[in-house]
Parts: sequence; structure tokens; C-alpha cells
Amino acid sequence: MVVSLTVGPVPTQAADTPASVPGFKYVRTVGSISEYTLEGNGLTVLLMPDRSAPVVTFMVTYMVGSRNEVTGTTGATHLLEHLMFKGSDAFNDGKGNSVKQYLETVGGNYNATTWLDRTNYYAVVGKEFLEGYVAIEADRMRNLWLREEDRQREMTVVRNEFEQGENDPHQALDVEINAAAITAHPYHHSTIGWRSDIENVPIEKLRAFYDTFYWPNNATVSVIGDFEPAAVLNLIKKYYGPFPRSPRPIQTIYTAEPEQQGERRVTLRRAGELGIVGIAYKSVAGSDADFPALNMLGTILGSGKTSRFYKALTDTNLTLSATASAGFFHDPQLFQVYAFLAPGVEHSQVEKVVLEEIERIKKDGVTDAEVATALGKYKAATAYGRDGTFSIAGNLNESIAAGDWTLYYTVDDATAKVTAADIKRVANKYLDVKKSTTGWFIPVPPEAAGAAK
Amino acid sequence: MNERPTVRVAQMRFFPAFIACVTVLLASPGARASVANDAVRTDVGGIDVVALRTSVQDVVNVVGSLPAGDDRSPTGDVMLATLTGAMLDKGTTAQDKFAIAQRLGGVGATLSFSVETNTLEIRGRCLRKDLPMLIDLMAEQLRIPAFSEQEFEKLKVQLEGAIRQQQQDTVFRAGDAFSRAIYPVGHPNRQPTAEQMLADMGNTTIAEVRQFHEKYYGPTGMRLVIVGDVDPVAAQAEVRKAFSGWTGGSLPPAAMSADAAAEARTETIFMADKTSVSVVLGQATRLRFSDPDSLALRLGTRIFGSGFAGRLMANVRDKEGLTYGIGAFLSGDSFTDGDWRIQAAFAPALLDKGLASTRRQLDAWHAEGVTDAELARAKSELAGTYQVGLATSAGMAGTILAMLNRGMPLEFVNEYPARVKAITRAEVNGAIRKHLDPATMTLVKAGTVGTAGAPAAKATPPASE
Repeated sequence: MVVSLTVGPVPTQAADTPASVPGFKYVRTVGSISEYTLEGNGLTVLLMPDRSAPVVTFMVTYMVGSRNEVTGTTGATHLLEHLMFKGSDAFNDGKGNSVKQYLETVGGNYNATTWLDRTNYYAVVGKEFLEGYVAIEADRMRNLWLREEDRQREMTVVRNEFEQGENDPHQALDVEINAAAITAHPYHHSTIGWRSDIENVPIEKLRAFYDTFYWPNNATVSVIGDFEPAAVLNLIKKYYGPFPRSPRPIQTIYTAEPEQQGERRVTLRRAGELGIVGIAYKSVAGSDADFPALNMLGTILGSGKTSRFYKALTDTNLTLSATASAGFFHDPQLFQVYAFLAPGVEHSQVEKVVLEEIERIKKDGVTDAEVATALGKYKAATAYGRDGTFSIAGNLNESIAAGDWTLYYTVDDATAKVTAADIKRVANKYLDVKKSTTGWFIPVPPEAAGAAK
Repeated sequence: MNERPTVRVAQMRFFPAFIACVTVLLASPGARASVANDAVRTDVGGIDVVALRTSVQDVVNVVGSLPAGDDRSPTGDVMLATLTGAMLDKGTTAQDKFAIAQRLGGVGATLSFSVETNTLEIRGRCLRKDLPMLIDLMAEQLRIPAFSEQEFEKLKVQLEGAIRQQQQDTVFRAGDAFSRAIYPVGHPNRQPTAEQMLADMGNTTIAEVRQFHEKYYGPTGMRLVIVGDVDPVAAQAEVRKAFSGWTGGSLPPAAMSADAAAEARTETIFMADKTSVSVVLGQATRLRFSDPDSLALRLGTRIFGSGFAGRLMANVRDKEGLTYGIGAFLSGDSFTDGDWRIQAAFAPALLDKGLASTRRQLDAWHAEGVTDAELARAKSELAGTYQVGLATSAGMAGTILAMLNRGMPLEFVNEYPARVKAITRAEVNGAIRKHLDPATMTLVKAGTVGTAGAPAAKATPPASE
């Protein structure tokens, strides 16, 4: 699952002249990316030619994530993502042409990920292998087997993924904090889901998920790399064109998180060595105008030795590290702080310093030099995001998931305009203790935990 | 910059990262005319510098190493190399750590040092315009670290925390114990215990750190690889200027070997409150990367334990649903003899079934070898992977450095693909049977298994400590 956000790069090269291919409607070009719609079924296509290496990244993003799940189906989006590798009549292990067999034979770098708002499937392949992959990827949009025997086998695989995550106190605490901070909106539960749902969700419900969300008009195909636009559009039409639009409109999420009216606290006690303090504040959607300033606030608070938290917490040996970041998602989510305690340090002491640092920014603001440093880091991260077509695709994917792929560029523009006053304003607006949820991981000495078994 | 202090760790390279590194080397000759021909390699005041321009725009990656790894730490002072390396980013005699961080952070550049088993590793990344500054700061931090007493005491607290954090991690604990089970005392791949690290660290002085720096830090044995949007000649001139007048350093110590165990052993590490058990199963190989059979064994191991279509994932995960992740790889064999291992995770309730399934696959692979079809597919895959791998410069820099550290000439990048292509099924299967023996492999399990405080079957170390 993708967790972090590195917002997208500036254009690496001018976009090609829009291609004219019957069946496609050209929509717009922003930066180096041109958008098209396959008119017959509503499939969105984004093309970003980059001929610096003879490879292509092909990615399909479905607008279905764990935000589309309810009690009893938590984790279903992710389990379905696993089952998408189990084959169809046309492409399967028995025939020797399944997606993994094909891509491993041609040396593709491939996988799939599920997150709060979306599921994506991708491969980076030599350009001569693109058509073979598109054929398989398109086929599994509507022709997946989805068999009960596959669900049974894959359930234990996914459950082990869940178990491995639970092994980590930080991940376990994060699940607890999210669940306490967000009560109504489906961001309440983690993408991997609750264990009992992973184990028991019936194949019929997975089939219903597939038949609700896996349609061309709920998907975006992104192609980045060495290709000719007209040729690749024809390829997409050949393999995705036969599928109709969804028979019913794609379901929308209408649940909004009610206003939080008071601070919340959670505690996780289990075997471990060192404590963790996490504080989550209600934040904004990735497309909100305040997101860039919150993102910069996170950098100033928690990124590198120049950050406030490093100086106040890590350099004073209260923590091993401390971070702050704003989630970049479709709907309002959280601005989260995590502090990993040094040996012998009390949670209350670290929490106090974190809150004091936040209050200092709310009262006195940040300096222009801090803003300039944060912007320097942002711009460099943007350039680093251009190192390879897959890196570009990964960032573009999160903008698609946030509801507007042009955020890939527009967040850059907005970030460059963020001022110290903006950062002070958003700190006061969003880092409100009455709308916070604080979590402590309190380690139980391993010998005590072991003896209790 | 590293936010957390570096700490000596066991050779726990999780298999996907390993695959990424190796597959760029195991490659098709047709994918790129010649990395070796495009790269510029020069001896700059004793430093082996390789610079290569790639298609990435505006970004430069720098990686380097010098032989000042944990294997240089003396007995009874096992944290000395790590403490020395971790002090490099705590300020220099010219400026404090915050001034350095501000110069780097202000332009989004990163520069970090980490101490590995055999080397001090250097990693930097910046925009093209900032490369001179990055190289200047790298040289300054390597040459004139401040070694402040106050920073040293802070660092010890941070390292203690990092060591204790590792003890929470089942994957780390399994690999860490595996290293002590298969390598004899004195072998660099054998990791000290957490207790030993904490005890020794308490006694290390800043004076010892200064002496270690003086003895092992210098241009001799150092390598730098600069890849990306870079003018190779200009980059080497920057290195020459920044490191001018620096002397000293050392060549890597002689390689050590480790015999495979004579009989199978099992060790269980009890960790409370863990929902997944980490497992390592394997043995010492007596092979270095540069040995003749190494490549054939790597290819066979790839067929067995890499990717979703590899035998382990296809069977233990896909067909039987027993694990989220399982793989096999060779490890720790760049500078000295290494090991072969399977790494996996299972739910406690599925542990026995998972291990039985893993052993079935291992026994069949060992007894019957790989098929012609598998070998052909692996070669085809590697050709494609090479092409894909060339699309990024970040991995390329690390790959070139790793190959040089394995004692190979730069030209080997070009020769390597042809060698892979020429490997026969008989060579692969012969290497598997010659160097591996499932009947005597060591198994380590870490998680909520066995009994607290009483290991079910503690392994006997190859030699007493």
C-alpha cells in the first residue's frame, strides 16, 4: 500500500501535439500530460510521452478504495486486488500466459496497490512488450474468474499481510488513532481491514464489489514513457473499447465526518521496547486550497535537522525521530505527528514538547528562511520524482485518487506561493487540540508480556 | 540526511531489494551499448571515481564507500566503526551540524553516511547545480569531523534506542540470530548481540573514535560513483578539488570463510505479542560473488525464490496460501564468503504447514534442479529487467558501486549479460547440489512461538564466544 506523498514534478518536456484518433475525445493538456476520453465507455486516458529510455509505464487506476467499504466488507478492496492476479478464461497460469507469467518473462516491474481512495495496477516494460500487457490488464477489468477456492487461499495470504503489519507497534498505533479520530467517514478503518472481515467476507460480496466498481467509466489509464500517442490510443481502444459503461452510475460516498468537539485519547499496550506518541488533527482534502500550506507546515515541523521537532526533541535526546505530515486524499483526513521516544523518556514529556512547538508556531509563526528551506526541499523532491516513468506514475496516481489529476501540477504552483502568514494561519485553523486525537504506544517489557501468556 | 542514527545490523537485505540490485547486472547485452564505455573512471588522488551521464534531467545521485565498516571494529569494542561513521554528520571543525543541514536542506539535497558490515557507505542526491556543494560537504564531513564530546554522548543515547527498537522486529531478530548460528566468531558477517553492542558502546571513548578515524579514513580504498545529469569530467574535477591533500585510508581486509554446518539446527526466538513469525532457513556457502559457481547458483536461486512466478511464491503463497511473502537469495558475499537463505513469514498457526511446504519445494529444487523452460524464462526476464532498470539512475549508481566492491572490473557490466546467457542447466543444477544441502541447513524462527525465556532448541554456535 502506498503511504507517502511526493507531489508531482514540473513538466519534463513539452507535451506532444494532441493525437486525433477516432473514438477518442481530446479533453485538455496540462503540463506534459494530455487527457482523452474513450467515448464509447467513458474510460479516461492520460498520456505523458517521455522518450528518454525505451520503456513504458502503463497503469490503470480504479476509483475504489477502502473508503468504499462498510462494516463486513472492510479490506474487501484489497482482497479483490489480490484476486485480480488469479486469472481469467483467456489469461491464466494453466495456459502459461497469466499476468505474472507474462510480465516476469519479459522482465516487467509490476504490482498493484490499494489505498483509501483507489486501487491501481501497473507495469513498467520495454516498449515492445506493451501490447501484451495491455491485453491482459484490460481483460481482467471485466473477465476475472473470482472463484471461491481462490478466495480461500488468498484470504490467508492477506491475513498474513495483516499480521505482519500488526507486528509493528507504529502501524498498530496508527490504526488505533485513525479509528478514534474518524468515526463516521470510512477513513475510520485501515485499508487492510479488520481481521474478521478479511477472514469472512463472502465471494459474493467481492463479486458485487467487482461488478460495481471495475468499469471503464470508473477507471483512468495512464501511459508514461516511450510511445507514439496515436498508436497507444489505438491500442487502448482495441482492448478496452469492447467494454460498455457500467450499467448503473458509480456509487458516491456521501458520509461526512461530523465536527469533533473535544480531544480524544487512545492507548496501545503490548510487548515492546520504546514508546511512541502520535497526535492526529482533522485536516483537509488533497484538493483543498489549504493543503499546500499544511504540507509545508509538516516539513517545517518534522523534516530533517532543520526542523522544529529535530531541534526540540531529537537533538535533546527526547526522541529518536519525530515527523509531521498532512494526508493527501480525496476527502478530509488527518494531519499527523509521530514522535518515537528515546530510552527512558516519558510519553507526557514528549507530548508536552510537541504541543509547545505547535503552539509556538500558532503564536509566532514561522520565518521566511524556514519557508524557503521547505520550498527548496519540495522542489528537489519534485525533480527526484522525475527519475523514471514509474516514479512519475506513482505520484500521478495519488492525484487521480484525490479526484483531479491536474493536482499533479497545480499543487506545485500553489506550494511555490505559500507564505509564512499562510502557514501560521493554517496552523491556527487546523491544529486545534479540541479536534485532536492523541495515541500512546506504551511498551510492556517483553519478559512481562511473555510471562502473562 | 539520516534522521535516525545508523546502527550495525545483520545482513537482512529483504529479497525484493536484492532482486532489484542483481537484475540490473544480470542482463541483456543488447539493452544498452555499454555502461562501461559511457562511464568515465579515474583515480582521483587515490579515490576510485566513476561518473556516468544518464537520461534523467537535473538530478545527480552519488554513492560511495570506504573500507571502514564494522569488520574494522576490534574485539571488545564492536560499536567503534558505527560510532565513528555516525559522528560524521554531527558537525565539522568548520561548521556545526545545523549549518550543514541548512546548506543541504535549503536546496533539497541529501547526504548520509551509514556503516555496514564491510564499508562506510556514502549516499547523496542533489540537483545538477548543487553537485559542487554536495561534494564539498562530503569531503568536509569525511576529512574534518568535529568529534564533539557532547554530540558523542547524545549519539550513544540515540544508538541505544535504535538497538532496542530493532529488538521489536521479528524480521531483524531472525536474521540477526541466523548470522550467529552460521558464521564463526571473527567472521565479519557474524553480528554481535544487542547486549554486547550496548555493553561495548558504554565503554567506547571519543579518543578511540578519533584514532579509528585517523587509521581507516582516507582515499585509499575509497570509491565514488556519480550518476545522472552530470558532466563526468567536471564532476571528477570537483572531487579532485574537494579531496586535495587527503591521505591515508586502507584496503579491505582479507576475505574470511565459513564452513557449512555439519548437521541441521533449529533456533527459536520467543517474542511476545507478535502475530506473524519470521523465519530464516539456510546455510553458509563458502562462496564469494566473484567465485566461478556463484553466477550459476544465483540464477538457480532466482528461479526458486524470486518474483511471484518463482517456485516459492507460486507454491507456498499462491497455491497453498500459507504466507504473504517468501523468497530466497544469496547474501553477504561481496567482500567475503556469504550465505544462502530463504526468508519468510507465517502466522503462528500456519508455521508448521508453511515450513513443511517450504521444505518440500526446497528438497524438490535441490534434488531435481531447474528445468530448461525455467532457465529460458529466467534469461528472458533478465533481459527485460535490464532494460527497465536502465530507466532510473538512482539504482544504476548503487549497482556500479556494488559490482566494484565485489572486485569486478567496470567492464564486467558489459560481460555479465553474456555470461548469464551462456550458463547451462547442468551448471545451474550442479552449483545447487555442490554448494547447498537442505539436510544440514539452519532454521531460525522469531515471534510468538516456543516459550518465553526458554528457547525450544537453541542452536550451538559453530565456535564458542
